[in-house]
Amino acid sequence: MTNDTHSERHAKLLKAAARAAKNITTILDPYELLQRTVDIICDEFGFYYAGVFFLDDAKQYAVLKAGRGEAGRRMVNVEHKLAVGGNSMIGASIANRQGRIALDVGTEAVFFENPDLPNTRSEMALPLIVGDDVIGALTVQSTEEAAFHDEDIAALQTMADQLAIAIQNSNLHRQAERRSRLLKAANRVGKEVTSILDLEELLPHTVNIICEAYGLYYAGVFLVDAAGEYAVLRAGYGKAGKAMVAEGHKLKIGTESMIGACIAMGEARIALDVGEERVHFKNPHLPHTRSEMALPLIYAGKALGAVTIQSSEEHAFSEDDITTLLTMAEHLAVAINNANLINELKEAHNEILRNKVFEALTTASTEAIHWIGNKTLPISLTVSRLQEEIAEGQVDLDSLKEDLEMISESAAQIIQVKEQLIGAVREMKPRPVLFADALQTAIRQRDLAENIFKVQIDPAAAYVIADSTQLVRALGNILQNAVEAGAKSIKISTHPTEERGILEVVIEDDGSGMSEDVMQKAWSPFFTTRGVAHHGLGLPAAMHVVSQSQGHITLVSEEGKGTTVAMFMPRVHANDEPVEAGNVKNILLIDDNDDWANLFAELLKGTKVKLTQSTDLGKFPAADLILVDEHIASVALMDVLAAISKAGLASKTVILTSAINPERVTQFLRHGAKDVTVKPYSGGEVSELLK
Amino acid sequence: MTTVLLVDDEKLIQRSLEKTLLRAGFDVLTAADCKSGSELFTQNIGEVSIAVLDLNMPGFDGTPKTGAGLDLLDDLKKQKADLPVVILTAYDEVTKAKDSVSRGANAFFVKGREQGLVELIQKILSE
Repeated sequence: MTNDTHSERHAKLLKAAARAAKNITTILDPYELLQRTVDIICDEFGFYYAGVFFLDDAKQYAVLKAGRGEAGRRMVNVEHKLAVGGNSMIGASIANRQGRIALDVGTEAVFFENPDLPNTRSEMALPLIVGDDVIGALTVQSTEEAAFHDEDIAALQTMADQLAIAIQNSNLHRQAERRSRLLKAANRVGKEVTSILDLEELLPHTVNIICEAYGLYYAGVFLVDAAGEYAVLRAGYGKAGKAMVAEGHKLKIGTESMIGACIAMGEARIALDVGEERVHFKNPHLPHTRSEMALPLIYAGKALGAVTIQSSEEHAFSEDDITTLLTMAEHLAVAINNANLINELKEAHNEILRNKVFEALTTASTEAIHWIGNKTLPISLTVSRLQEEIAEGQVDLDSLKEDLEMISESAAQIIQVKEQLIGAVREMKPRPVLFADALQTAIRQRDLAENIFKVQIDPAAAYVIADSTQLVRALGNILQNAVEAGAKSIKISTHPTEERGILEVVIEDDGSGMSEDVMQKAWSPFFTTRGVAHHGLGLPAAMHVVSQSQGHITLVSEEGKGTTVAMFMPRVHANDEPVEAGNVKNILLIDDNDDWANLFAELLKGTKVKLTQSTDLGKFPAADLILVDEHIASVALMDVLAAISKAGLASKTVILTSAINPERVTQFLRHGAKDVTVKPYSGGEVSELLK
Repeated sequence: MTTVLLVDDEKLIQRSLEKTLLRAGFDVLTAADCKSGSELFTQNIGEVSIAVLDLNMPGFDGTPKTGAGLDLLDDLKKQKADLPVVILTAYDEVTKAKDSVSRGANAFFVKGREQGLVELIQKILSE
């Protein structure tokens, strides 16, 4: 080789080294960096092969991290490594911190025996040095017998130095990225876990976030048991975690386990399956664990438990991991403490509730026993006396009549209780109900004196959503209580509340009122202060009806001054659906001129139906349909039915009621009415009726 | 003729027990609360041989009261210390029974087992 040729070749080598170094230093991703480096070197220099070795942690071996082509991949896969300072070129270059050349020619001929690289005839090994540290080595190989010269070492070493710096930069970049990812994960854990207040949800969620965010093999949360003796696994990642939780996995607090020691000492513990502190991880559920970290969960100086974090990599945890995981553990401890506080509150609340329920049940059953005893006793007493009288042949007709009346009265009272109880389990059909109509029905059904009521209905609170039958029953119970408490005046008003869609019905009486003690028991079934003829189910049944309508009811009372009941119920505006009259052209409405009759007339205004309203039983105008209100102030319904039957109009007659009841339906049908149905309160319901 | 003072606020029980006692040959005076029971007894103190009092009924102030029958028991005993008294109740309660006896009642009778009431009254009167 001439000097010129030699100089040209060296210059070309230097240029290639500069290009390679320039390309290499732009790559930040560590995996891409190594793989592309070996390709760039081979492409730029026209080499047969290039490979990058890194020193292992113990600095005993150089481990191949990237190699050119299929041969390189194969060797990386089998973890090809060479001992530092051994017979290999790589081992020697690392040990001596110097580049070396080996050639298959001349006096120092070397026999290249790597079966993966059968065509190598020359090799150069260059140490990768950053500052004072050798981090690995670069091998470049050629198929030419004497491809390298000693002076080439300097040219390629410059490139190798650039590579070493690029590797360091890439590592720093990777660390920065990892730190940022860990901080994000810690923040995510902190943010997500502090918003969960149920431990059963919080803990599984936490282990999932930790494993997903950190890419870990396993995480588990232990909580200290009530005795402070064991750390009990409350949540674990994946199938292994679920299995261990199901087995009741627990560890004694103390020095026997990492978790136990971490809780006992209140500090993080790390165990690695490498180096001198080699630890054997024996948990059969977690066979791949190679590193483990236990972090205490400390709140206000008290260890609540610990988190175990496990990796399948050796030496998996860095200082950054520990810092961010400790931050995460602090967040978790706060969340656990919050959840515990909520649990304690719930428990206290449940205890109060249990006591109250028990108290209510005891009161209710005591009253019920008393009531049942008093109502059934006259029946059994009378029957046994009658049996004796019959046996002795001394039946006195007047006495018998009286006895039968007593039996009948007792039975009637028992049936009344059945009605209150059965009412509550009847099917509910909530719909917009004209409150004024339900109230009027309640007053008339209970036969209460209408002149004591002062009613004021806010037009914005005229319709309540309820089952009309149940609402009438609830109102009837409350009004009857007021009347029986000696009320001379009962004020009833409705108005919208500040809560959207809710109205308040206020029923205020000037009756005898209740003492604090009586007021406490007022909602208990069978409790009554009104003597023996009462069952004490009125208020509890009213409460049931109101709560079934998604409302609530309150009661305020002062002895000697009166009682105020407030019902809060969903309200609705009148709808303006048009009425479809079908074939009906003439309707006779037998009713007073009351709120419902006015509403009905209003609803029919847009139709061609002629409506005639009357309570005159002497003369019925011609009509396709006769509608009769069940409660008419001026005339008894039975008289109306009798007159209609007499006029032969029963088959056109429908009885309308706000509170439908099977006994009365049967009674009216037997008197010849065509149908008995609930009163319509909307255009749609009127259309349905006229069908 | 032996006269029984029967005080019970439950109208049907009162009438039914009255008829049972009448049929057994007793004279019966009835009242429905403590006040009228006490007054009726005062007016007929010479005739009444035994009192049968409901435990829970309107007290001396006219309002329903748990254990009002024991107040009337005290009142009757003040008027006539050796008057035999039977307390009637719907409850099968040992504490109330003991309380009744300690206040001078001869018997505590749970309603619903009334077939024995006539025999019980006869037994007490024969002692």
